[in-house]
Amino acid sequence: MRRLHALLSSDRAVGLLFIAPFVVTAIVFMVYPVVEAIRMAFYSYNPLRPDLSAFVGIANFEFLFSDPLFWDSLWQATVWTLLSILFQTILGVGIAMLLHRALFGMAFFRGLLLFPYIVPTVVIALIWRWIFNPEIGVVNYSLLASGIIREPVYWLSTPTMAMASTIMLNVWKYTPFVVICVLARLQTVPLELYDAAKVDGAGFIRRFIDVTLPQLREVLIVVIVFRTIWTFNKFEEIYLLTKGGPGTSTFNLAVYSFEQSMASLRLGVGAATGVVMMIMLLIGSIVYLRITKFGEEVR
Amino acid sequence: MLTRKQLWRAARDALLYVSLCTVTFIVCFPLIWALSTSLKPKSEIFATPPTLVPRTLTFENYEALLTGRQQYYHSGPQTAPSGPTPAQFFTRWFVNSVIVTAGSTLISIVISTLAAYSLTRFRYWGRSVVPYFSLLGYMVPSIIFVFPLFLMMVRLELTDSLWSLIFGYVSITLPFCMWLMWAFMRSIPIEIEEAALIDGASRYQVFRQVVLPTALPGIIAASIFAMIVSWNDYLFGRVFINSLDNLTLTVGVMLFFEGTHVDWGLLMAASVLMTVPMAILFMALQRHLVAGFGAGAVKG
Repeated sequence: MRRLHALLSSDRAVGLLFIAPFVVTAIVFMVYPVVEAIRMAFYSYNPLRPDLSAFVGIANFEFLFSDPLFWDSLWQATVWTLLSILFQTILGVGIAMLLHRALFGMAFFRGLLLFPYIVPTVVIALIWRWIFNPEIGVVNYSLLASGIIREPVYWLSTPTMAMASTIMLNVWKYTPFVVICVLARLQTVPLELYDAAKVDGAGFIRRFIDVTLPQLREVLIVVIVFRTIWTFNKFEEIYLLTKGGPGTSTFNLAVYSFEQSMASLRLGVGAATGVVMMIMLLIGSIVYLRITKFGEEVR
Repeated sequence: MLTRKQLWRAARDALLYVSLCTVTFIVCFPLIWALSTSLKPKSEIFATPPTLVPRTLTFENYEALLTGRQQYYHSGPQTAPSGPTPAQFFTRWFVNSVIVTAGSTLISIVISTLAAYSLTRFRYWGRSVVPYFSLLGYMVPSIIFVFPLFLMMVRLELTDSLWSLIFGYVSITLPFCMWLMWAFMRSIPIEIEEAALIDGASRYQVFRQVVLPTALPGIIAASIFAMIVSWNDYLFGRVFINSLDNLTLTVGVMLFFEGTHVDWGLLMAASVLMTVPMAILFMALQRHLVAGFGAGAVKG
């Protein structure tokens, strides 16, 4: 047996041959672009005049930190992320509880409820612009007809409502992610815990708080950290729906970076924004690692 | 006779299914509405009250997209713009999307399957770092490396070609394909391979006849995720491609918004056609998709 293991690990040539394509591709298409992005953050770079590219030290970061729009974007990204995660978590847990209960036809419902995850963001943004159209959209029509509102709501052209619309889009698309993770965990909760609680006379709400929530704690932390990292850096969900507007009211850092690079042709500033995003990402990842390690110790 | 307890339980179940149906309806409503709009004639799209089920069923929007005929795009209240219209390019963009999705998925899957096999079956320096490196890789948002990658494509003279997109999508899909394949390969017991090797099979035979079939569910899950990510991407297509001929669906369809008159019927038909391929994949392979969610290898 030991000789066999030795045989398996001895023919290194095969092993190295199999890993080689990955190493090459990863260096060329993953490591290099990220390193290049960090380098660009310290250079002024105009794609129309690449010959004028020059090392500028921390000038791009100085530009960034003195730009009020950068701080607005940071703040709006924070609001956007926190509200999205809040609603995703509440709805996700709620829907997962419903799905967990229903036995008959559960596969059917689960399939349909996961559907938003695979719909292209472009399609969702188009549909959103259509159903939330202030004059001819079905949402305003229904709300007006049922008397909930008296005047049409300008979903995408007032700063507050535009923010609300992008949050709705984000929640609609990514709640399935939370549902799947929570559902998987719910199915492993031992039923005896509920029986014991029932014997003790705990009602539905008490059982949820005392039994279900503690069981879900770990999976929720992981899901929330992951979703926070990803939501904070989302680009398409905002850009395709509002282009960061009206004005700059729905800018987040990704949209800010894109606009700096694409519209203002300040690729250095765009890259510097990217570096700030990466630093936050790193902090998020460290938090994640800490938390998961913490979970292991408790177990 | 029903006892009180049975009645209570029936009422609770009914409430459960009613709330499930409501949630499902809300979740699916935008898609249902898009489908409904796409099947209506112009006059009915703006009708008040709006109709969920079209009174007159028409396929003119789909026909316009698939045959590229101009008149439907031009039939709005505005005067017709000269030059090509987005509808004329729809089939071309569709083919482009299929090519880049298939190409990048194939490359990512082949590379990550080989690498995962190597990482879990051979011993060498650094093999434990690679999966975590990949995990970190798929946390990095594409907005950060899209411009450096673009400048690289400029130097390789690949801009405005489908190759640039294929390589771009490899860079986003490879990390999580790698992670998923690694997690999957690790869970396959090594004993069967050892037995095959003892029986005198070559390394190549073992890989093709033992490893690949067992790893198939993992390969399918990774492929679905890779395909969804490539098919749905907008950012790379927007930055890398300039000519109408080489656009993919996502970027192309957003062009329908340019100009003064938006043809909602046509747009919704385009949206439906863009969603259908992924929906079919999703329904056919849903079981594997859920497994992939479980492995935590989801980008999104």
